[in-house]
Amino acid sequence: MISSGKDLYLKRVGIWNVWGRNFLVFRKSWIVNLFWMVVEPTFVLFSIGYGVGAFISSIQGVAYVDFFFPALLCLTAMMVAFFETAYGSYSKLNFQKIYQAMILSPLEPKEIIFGEILWGGSKGFLSALGVTLVATVFGHTDNLLIIPALLVVFICAILFSSLGLLVVSFIKSHDQISVPTSGFIVPMSFICGTYFPLEQMPVALKYLVYLLPLTHAVGAVRGILLGGMPWWQIGLHILVLLLLTLLVVRAVQGRISKKLIH
Amino acid sequence: MEKSVAIEARGLMKRYDNDVAIGALNFEVLQGECFGLLGPNGAGKSTAIRMMYGSSLIDQGDLFILGLNIKNSGREIRSQIGVVPTEDGLETELSVRENLILFGRYHGIEKNLLHRRCEDLLKLVKLEEYADHRVPELPVGFRQRLVFARALINEPRILFLDEPTLSLDPSARQWVWNQIQNEKAQGRTLLLTTHDMEEAEKICDRIAIMDRGKVLAVGTPRELIQRLVGTQVIELQVPRGDLQYYLSRLSSHNFAFQVVKQQVNVHLKDNDDPQRVMNLVQGISLTLRQSGLSDVFFKLSGHDVRDELI
Repeated sequence: MISSGKDLYLKRVGIWNVWGRNFLVFRKSWIVNLFWMVVEPTFVLFSIGYGVGAFISSIQGVAYVDFFFPALLCLTAMMVAFFETAYGSYSKLNFQKIYQAMILSPLEPKEIIFGEILWGGSKGFLSALGVTLVATVFGHTDNLLIIPALLVVFICAILFSSLGLLVVSFIKSHDQISVPTSGFIVPMSFICGTYFPLEQMPVALKYLVYLLPLTHAVGAVRGILLGGMPWWQIGLHILVLLLLTLLVVRAVQGRISKKLIH
Repeated sequence: MEKSVAIEARGLMKRYDNDVAIGALNFEVLQGECFGLLGPNGAGKSTAIRMMYGSSLIDQGDLFILGLNIKNSGREIRSQIGVVPTEDGLETELSVRENLILFGRYHGIEKNLLHRRCEDLLKLVKLEEYADHRVPELPVGFRQRLVFARALINEPRILFLDEPTLSLDPSARQWVWNQIQNEKAQGRTLLLTTHDMEEAEKICDRIAIMDRGKVLAVGTPRELIQRLVGTQVIELQVPRGDLQYYLSRLSSHNFAFQVVKQQVNVHLKDNDDPQRVMNLVQGISLTLRQSGLSDVFFKLSGHDVRDELI
């Protein structure tokens, strides 16, 4: 008989054990990971932010790089978190059979799913943190508002990490990951107020873009870092992000559980 | 003294897309015995064992593992069992030792104890020299040793093995058989699935013969053979066309037989004299041998379409 104390302990550490498994594997290949997590977005920061930005005298009253930086944090978190679960979890589920081994232990499917989402989110967050550090070294961030901004970036990462897992629950083969990637994630990266303000969009599209999660992440982070946005508007953006996250996590929980135990 | 029950299945049912995978399984496994689910591919034994270790849902019926209902004590059951699955799910980026430690953490085993146990297990499965090697660097056939050690990390009371010797070479197979005997000697309950009749006969105390999602018979290998097919078999190679002639001769003398393709297996009871059969079928090439579980299986499953598959 396992004592109720042990049961409670297992309940408490389940998600963290799954997270810890990923961290352990990550540590083995962190240099490889560093490239797509930090080096790549750093190049975007310099080429778009400083490079292209040099031709734009001011945008919404600030330098282009200042306008772009909040978006880059969200973009980085989105890309890294989404690909971590979409590719990583797909492989764990279908090739490596990692989850199938995990459910032989006292871990519950729910803990595996939450642990994976948390890990994808952490990796996206870590990546944005890396970009922040680079930007700080170059004297770009000098403001404590970066802390609440990064909190929103973390929510954004969790949302896209769950979306990646939702994709895994639908696709039948590895190639199909390119459908949501090229049809949703990449287009979103261009049109959600990332490289240019939403005001530049045709009216009809502008409202459509508000249906996309990245718009709210960029809106909130930019609102926090640049100021000038009423607090309730920032709050509204965050609320949308949280609601979407809740919705996606619920869907993922149902769909992936069925793949683990059927 | 009566042994207590380790596994109890009552009317277990399972459907996959309206196909019945398991139809009303009933059996009991006693503590300390090695119980085998034996049957051809697609018999439902893998689904049955997956239900028992909690990786497959039960549509109907009741399943008790160590007295606990699997429907509401899944975690508690999983912390007391070990599983050697067909798809090992080993961490290929991690070392042999890390694989064991990681799994021990999932079990919530205290750190010092876990490290001690890990070293003991590495010794037990003779992987000490490979402890720091990554899984893909293990010699062929050694992966299964690691899977075995992983299944034992929580000192389980029941060990489930799904086709443990499938695709292993003879020496690795022998290793698994020895290991199973060792675990049994330690008093652990074992439940395994296999389609290898020889394996089942060799290592199982009792077996359930399964086909098409049903248990056809349960008993010790010896008992099943004695009861259902007798101790000896005479195999007759009957020329095409003459089959009916010989079959009617055998029936009229009350011999039990099975037809497997062009071969007729005549089952002899203890007191039957093989010479009587030989006299009946003079001129036909025949072989006399001991009965085995495969004879039991052919007899139970009916020997129609199915034997094409085996």
